[in-house]
Amino acid sequence: MRSSSSSTARQSFWKKLTGQQRDVTKSLGALIAIFIFASLLSPAASDGSNIFLQWGNLTDILRQVSIVGIISLGMNFVILTAGIDLSVGSILALSSTVVALLLTRWQPEMGYAAQISIAIGAALLISTASGALSGTIIAIFDVQPFVVTLAGMIGIRGLAKWLSSNANVDVGFGQDVASLFAAIFRGKPMIIGFYVVLAAIFSVLLGRTVFGRYVRAVGDNERASLYAGLPVRSVKLWVYSLSGLLAGFAGVLYAAENHQGNPNSGVGYELDAIAAVVIGGTQLSGGKGTIAGTIIGTLMIGVLTNMLRLNNVDSNVEMIVKGAIILFAVAVQKQGKDVR
Amino acid sequence: MRNQSAMRFLFLALLAGAAISCNRSNSASTPEGKHQFFVAFSQANNAEPYRAAQNDLMTKLFAAAGDVKLVIADAQQDNSKQVAQVETFIRQRPDLLIVAPNERAALTAVMGEAMEQKIPVICLERDILQPNYTTLVRSDNVEIGRMAGNFIRDYLVAKYKQPKGNVVEIQGLLGVEAAINRHKGAAEVLQEYPDIKIVADPVADWIQARAKDRMTEVLRAQPSIDVVYAHNDPMAVGAYLAAKELGREREMIFVGVDGLGGPAGGIKKVQDRILAATFVYPLCVDKTVEIALKILRDPTFHPDKEYTVAPQLVTPSNAAQLYQQSTVTP
Repeated sequence: MRSSSSSTARQSFWKKLTGQQRDVTKSLGALIAIFIFASLLSPAASDGSNIFLQWGNLTDILRQVSIVGIISLGMNFVILTAGIDLSVGSILALSSTVVALLLTRWQPEMGYAAQISIAIGAALLISTASGALSGTIIAIFDVQPFVVTLAGMIGIRGLAKWLSSNANVDVGFGQDVASLFAAIFRGKPMIIGFYVVLAAIFSVLLGRTVFGRYVRAVGDNERASLYAGLPVRSVKLWVYSLSGLLAGFAGVLYAAENHQGNPNSGVGYELDAIAAVVIGGTQLSGGKGTIAGTIIGTLMIGVLTNMLRLNNVDSNVEMIVKGAIILFAVAVQKQGKDVR
Repeated sequence: MRNQSAMRFLFLALLAGAAISCNRSNSASTPEGKHQFFVAFSQANNAEPYRAAQNDLMTKLFAAAGDVKLVIADAQQDNSKQVAQVETFIRQRPDLLIVAPNERAALTAVMGEAMEQKIPVICLERDILQPNYTTLVRSDNVEIGRMAGNFIRDYLVAKYKQPKGNVVEIQGLLGVEAAINRHKGAAEVLQEYPDIKIVADPVADWIQARAKDRMTEVLRAQPSIDVVYAHNDPMAVGAYLAAKELGREREMIFVGVDGLGGPAGGIKKVQDRILAATFVYPLCVDKTVEIALKILRDPTFHPDKEYTVAPQLVTPSNAAQLYQQSTVTP
């Protein structure tokens, strides 16, 4: 069964697709297993009900994974081209800072709706531009993505700190425009809704469009893609821009949720996003992986973290368990490769 | 292949389960029949010595109470993580929730959610943007400032038989609560004595090296200084070093604030006679546990909205004893 399933995996496009579906099904099975496990281990509430399965708790999990989840969608595209984007945590910080600054320090003569739109638009624009800059350098000068986005990670955080004098830009709870912005966007349905909608859009973009096929092709074999006349450079430029845009979205939601623009936020989020992508079955060597897998990877981390927290396990153990899952996920992927 | 990977995840899940069951057996070892209160404490960052000391003392005091199961979650200085941890605590419906907020704005909404769920909330040490707590236990930097002002006046009266003299005030980061209020409290006291003059008030951003530089400039300009009051101990030490370099350290005394324990802390500096005095910014945990036990055990008890814990004066006469205490209880 082993050799037959994997030796046919690369023979035709159709069979490759089923291979992907098989991977996703496998991950989904693991997620369901963890879910059942979490509900069995969940402590009971005072009325005897299962805390883990409470609607409020399940939506807590979704809300808690949404911000890294949104970042990991963009990261998925980048990794599919065999790249990496270390700058997303810093872009989140920059975006949260820009949106909060424009809402608290800028007093234009315009309506609240207009000012909120401009603030969000500016944050998304500067985030996309940050990603596009990395993408341009990577695509045109052919520098390793790790190095370029490492530079971005440092430089963009510096920019966020400089803009805010390294101080948090607090958003209040009053009647002003900034408070209104937070009140609108901090709600659970809003944050989860953004994640769901963006996940759907990017899933279609990867699975159903020519662009998605190009992304995979570039990661699978860049030289062959180039010879086949694919726009390799612009594909690269686009994936880093999209990654920046999504990190910017995450930053706007972060600012609303935490009532502040924080130039020191999002530290390590790039690694959480990479972890979610890897657990979801996307290979760092590029070409292979799905948005569905990444979403499942994100949820797996979320459910496991929640399970441990509900049982009051030391927060440092969370990190140990997270580390263990990444290794197991990679071990499963490696097994798939070995039998080819 | 599917079976194998399923096995691996099962193994992983068992591993997580083992971690949980280890944890459970700890909490299960309590005397049966007695009602156990569940207190959840969300700590901003265990890595800060001040906060680690809070955790240790709270664990000790609740253990001594006998009927409380305390769970501490460390947010590791991450607002999002602390919000998530508080949310999870809310689902567990503790009898009492204690939160030491990492930052004001970020924790305000989720603490409000706990209040809506009728969970009593004690806000520890740092205020939030809206009063989303049952009670706030804090210390008071204005009071620290007042105590410093009184100490300075008493010293000058002892020196000159009347309240007069020249004072240098070295300020922390401008606009920060601690710096504003440590100044305000001292000013309240010293303003009443026209002959006590603040001859210089440089800003040194809490940093020892910067205080040394600023103090050197002040020393060049001021021929006579009686007292240096710095908003924290490291800046007081920096001022001392500047004066020592110019051979003037015996002309004046140095007063700091913070009074941390350990060999690098302010208490040791008082013991070594570098500082004449410092003021311990208290952990606030004794009061928190006292109020917590009242809330848990007495349903008719209504706490005040706010409790202020008095700071403690450290002088050479009690420094050795306080140093001992601060190092014995880690």
